Amino acid sequence: MGAILELQGVSMSFGGLRAVDSLSFDVNENEIVSIIGPNGSGKTTTFNVISGLYEPDSGDILLNGESVAGLRPDRVHDKGISRTFQSLRLFSSMSVLDNVLVGMHSKGRARLLPSMLRLPSVRREEAVLRARAQEILAMFPGRFSGPRQSQAAGSLSYANRRRLEIARALASEPLLLLLDEPVAGMNPAESHEVMEQIHDLKNAGYTILMIEHDMHVVEGVSDRVIAMDHGVKIAEGSYEQVANDPRVVEAYLGKRSTDAAS
Amino acid sequence: MSLDHIVSVTIGGLTVGMIYALIALGYTMVYGVLKFINFAHGEIFTVGGYVAAFTLFSLGANDSMPPLMLLGALLLALLAAIAVPVVLGTLVERIAYRPLRGRSRIIPLLSAIGVSIVLQQLIILVFGPTPITMPTFGIASTAVDVLGVRIRVLALVIIALSALLMMALTYLVRSTRIGKAMRATSQDMEAAEMMGIETDKTIAFTFVVGSALAGVGGLMVVLYYGSLKFDAGFLYGLKAFTAAVLGGIGNIPGAVVGAIVLGMTETYGVSVDLGFLAWFVVAGLVLGLYIQLVRAPQKRLSHIAPDRRTPEYERSIVGVYRFAPYSATKTLLAERTDALLSVSATHAMRLTLGNVFLAAVAAVFFVNGSVRIDTRWQPVITFVVLMVILMFRPSGILGDSITEKV
Amino acid sequence: MVAARALNSVRAIFYKVPRSAYVIGTLLIAVAFPMLNAVGVVETAWIRVGVLSLLYAMLALGLNIVMGETGLLNLGYIAFFAFGAYTTALLSSPKFDLHWPFIVLLVLSALIAMAAGFFVGLPTLRLRGDYLAIVTLAFGEIVRLTIINLPSVTNGPNGIPSINAPRPLGMKLTDTLLATNLPESLKNWLVIDKPVEYYYLVLACVAITALLLTNLKNSRIGRAWNALREDELAAVSAGITASRAKLLSVVLSAGIAGFAGCLFAYYSNVISPESFVFMQSVIVVCMVVLGGMGSIPGVILGAIVLQALPQIIRESAGAARSEFEVYRMLIFGIIVVVMVIFRPEGLLPDKEWRREAHEADPREIESTRQSLFTLEEGEKDLEV
Repeated sequence: MGAILELQGVSMSFGGLRAVDSLSFDVNENEIVSIIGPNGSGKTTTFNVISGLYEPDSGDILLNGESVAGLRPDRVHDKGISRTFQSLRLFSSMSVLDNVLVGMHSKGRARLLPSMLRLPSVRREEAVLRARAQEILAMFPGRFSGPRQSQAAGSLSYANRRRLEIARALASEPLLLLLDEPVAGMNPAESHEVMEQIHDLKNAGYTILMIEHDMHVVEGVSDRVIAMDHGVKIAEGSYEQVANDPRVVEAYLGKRSTDAAS
Repeated sequence: MSLDHIVSVTIGGLTVGMIYALIALGYTMVYGVLKFINFAHGEIFTVGGYVAAFTLFSLGANDSMPPLMLLGALLLALLAAIAVPVVLGTLVERIAYRPLRGRSRIIPLLSAIGVSIVLQQLIILVFGPTPITMPTFGIASTAVDVLGVRIRVLALVIIALSALLMMALTYLVRSTRIGKAMRATSQDMEAAEMMGIETDKTIAFTFVVGSALAGVGGLMVVLYYGSLKFDAGFLYGLKAFTAAVLGGIGNIPGAVVGAIVLGMTETYGVSVDLGFLAWFVVAGLVLGLYIQLVRAPQKRLSHIAPDRRTPEYERSIVGVYRFAPYSATKTLLAERTDALLSVSATHAMRLTLGNVFLAAVAAVFFVNGSVRIDTRWQPVITFVVLMVILMFRPSGILGDSITEKV
Repeated sequence: MVAARALNSVRAIFYKVPRSAYVIGTLLIAVAFPMLNAVGVVETAWIRVGVLSLLYAMLALGLNIVMGETGLLNLGYIAFFAFGAYTTALLSSPKFDLHWPFIVLLVLSALIAMAAGFFVGLPTLRLRGDYLAIVTLAFGEIVRLTIINLPSVTNGPNGIPSINAPRPLGMKLTDTLLATNLPESLKNWLVIDKPVEYYYLVLACVAITALLLTNLKNSRIGRAWNALREDELAAVSAGITASRAKLLSVVLSAGIAGFAGCLFAYYSNVISPESFVFMQSVIVVCMVVLGGMGSIPGVILGAIVLQALPQIIRESAGAARSEFEVYRMLIFGIIVVVMVIFRPEGLLPDKEWRREAHEADPREIESTRQSLFTLEEGEKDLEV
């Protein structure tokens, strides 16, 4: 069980603000790691740096020992990192199935002329991709069955849109899945279901790094938790260790309350 | 090139630049607030010019009038050239733009193009397709001696009046309540609304100011050139837009700077031998080569994490820059390459392209000796400036005030 | 209320009929149309209107790739049409006494236009949609002004006259065949020089283009374009190389314009810079907006309506040409504004066609309509 993802002293600043400050951590194979921290602590920026939306100012990011820092997002995706977004970013007027198929873009090979002529090779590839996309959608039983697949993604319920985003990220069978607040805005029953699904993904062999605010979910699924504040890693370990770390409590509740607690 | 030539060309460039600036301010303010290119702004300008000419025409303004009456007529024309565009601009905003707020960028732009066509056809329907001409005024052609050069008084009036209007605008935006509202709205419309700013009103006001300035510009063009055609708004609009982008769109002083730079470039571009620029191009090329061969690799080397720093790795990064066409293409085509190498390769290719372009331009200059641009290529200069600035530095000379991510 | 219900039931019937029936029906009508001319119902002038409508349909199909599928605005589209037309005119006219074969020029025109598309697209596609629109506009004007300012090559504003009539089988074979005693009715088709012949030539080209583009739309490439249109950030994060996909769409659309330009040059016999002014680009944009961005049947309909309808109206009103032109453009402008505000999905929206198999849920259509054109500026994800 080696490290799939390694961050080595990654820093990223905007103007004078150090959003991420020499951050280092590993994610091991088939592990679920959660990043927690108050708003503005640099969690999403970390995701953006890993997924290639930003080039880090310094430090390196290794995927299976190979540097991916500064690669374009599409190349990072090709290398095996796919992600979801905190504020849903689906292709809302495209169908549910098409959304998943876009996630499989890098799996396809069809080029311009064969696609225009719809050659047998293209048809075969398309059929394979479609079948695979349906398999992925079937991982969410009852949510995307039958006619729902040709509905526009924008017409789905909020929870289903979140699920579809996960499905789209899974479509490329990534080495590492980045989930940015997968249960944000869901009710307890729905978030419980997502939790189960994350467990299933782990059993299916996926490695997941996620940002989450819902502590029940963090507690329920994480093998390891990393707490961040002001761009710095302030604690790392099991959920219990991190949750009871005084610095984490301080970051969430402020200095005074820790004084009162002690 | 003699001194008086320089003076007259400079004054000419400044006058044209000031007229562009008046129109450019409308583009830049609307873009600053709404992030939207008001494509119909050029037509608003044309309407201003037509209305002004029409007013003077119907008042029977001519040189035989007593000077005071003539001044009165001119003032009336100015008022008309402000009032009609203001009403029109507000109407257009209300009808064609306001319902589209929040839609994706190209949707309001399409609407603006539609409006532009409609306005142009309306000008033809109201005033006819033949260019409107001004009765010739003594005032318009009176000239004075400046440094031994005959300069049209009108040019000086245009420069002075435009400068005055721009100062007033700066005061308006910086120091008044409505100006503060404009700035707030342009920063963050939602937040401004929550702070109790009536954004609809503020936006409407932005259109009022922009249209008024464009109308004044219309009057000036009519007086200065003596005629205006129904489709003039297209070219003037584009030139003004170029000026706005040149200075940094959304940036009010930027629009003025950009307009003056564009006016000068245009006037100088067609009236002097550009051969003297050859050495500047060569200097640019030297600088470009220095960046590619020395600075850029150095900077990139500093990105290597300490534990991966090997002489061999450093050599390959430097090599990517030095032998860009060969080594960078090879790196770009390799399926699994190191991130730093791959980023360097893209960068190196871009630098090489730039340097090849500079070398080509330098070659043209040295082979031809003297480079003169014919007047009929003048609009092309503007379009080339526009394309180049948008491609290489979309934020303009002074930077757009709205920083955009992604 | 009653009217609305009636309209809805008509719509329901309309969408129940399978799509193939419409396609075949339209093709049959299109094929049959010139025959009305043969029996004397329709004047030859109308065949000419038909040819021009089809040429514009071709342009609209090409522009739709960029505008509808990829969500970029190209305001200098007519420049690529000009590249095709001038390539053909220069290589198949007495101007340089060159008479290259039809098929070669058809391909070459498309290739040259594609090369032009490549060189404009490469540096500009990083730009945001509205900036791109202006850059392409500037490019279109540069091309037009260059044509005017280089009389030694292009004859300047006078244009290039006497372009040869196309011989699909090539010079030599055609001449040999003309010398044989083939029936006269067959010989007519060896040299395409009558409106009816052009009509069928262009019709075939439009039909093939539409078919190929429909295939493309439902492929991996088409989906990548649509994803970029919907949300570029999400698309690149899903592994789509934005620059390559956008460049492909710009180049392909330029190629179609070049192809159409070649046909146009042959058909009109004389070409001049007047045919390639900015307004022409805008007219094609109007067609795409009216028909429905992203909808292949839509943009063809848009092109035919905007090209043929004004002619019909003019014919029946008997208005003078110049005055009529003013009203025509006025109405085009109004159409764009009204469509964009009230029916941004166009006359024949793509969405409803695709979901013909299912009972359309009105709520769903409404939300699709909104989401299709409401861009979530959502930069939230990029905030610290």
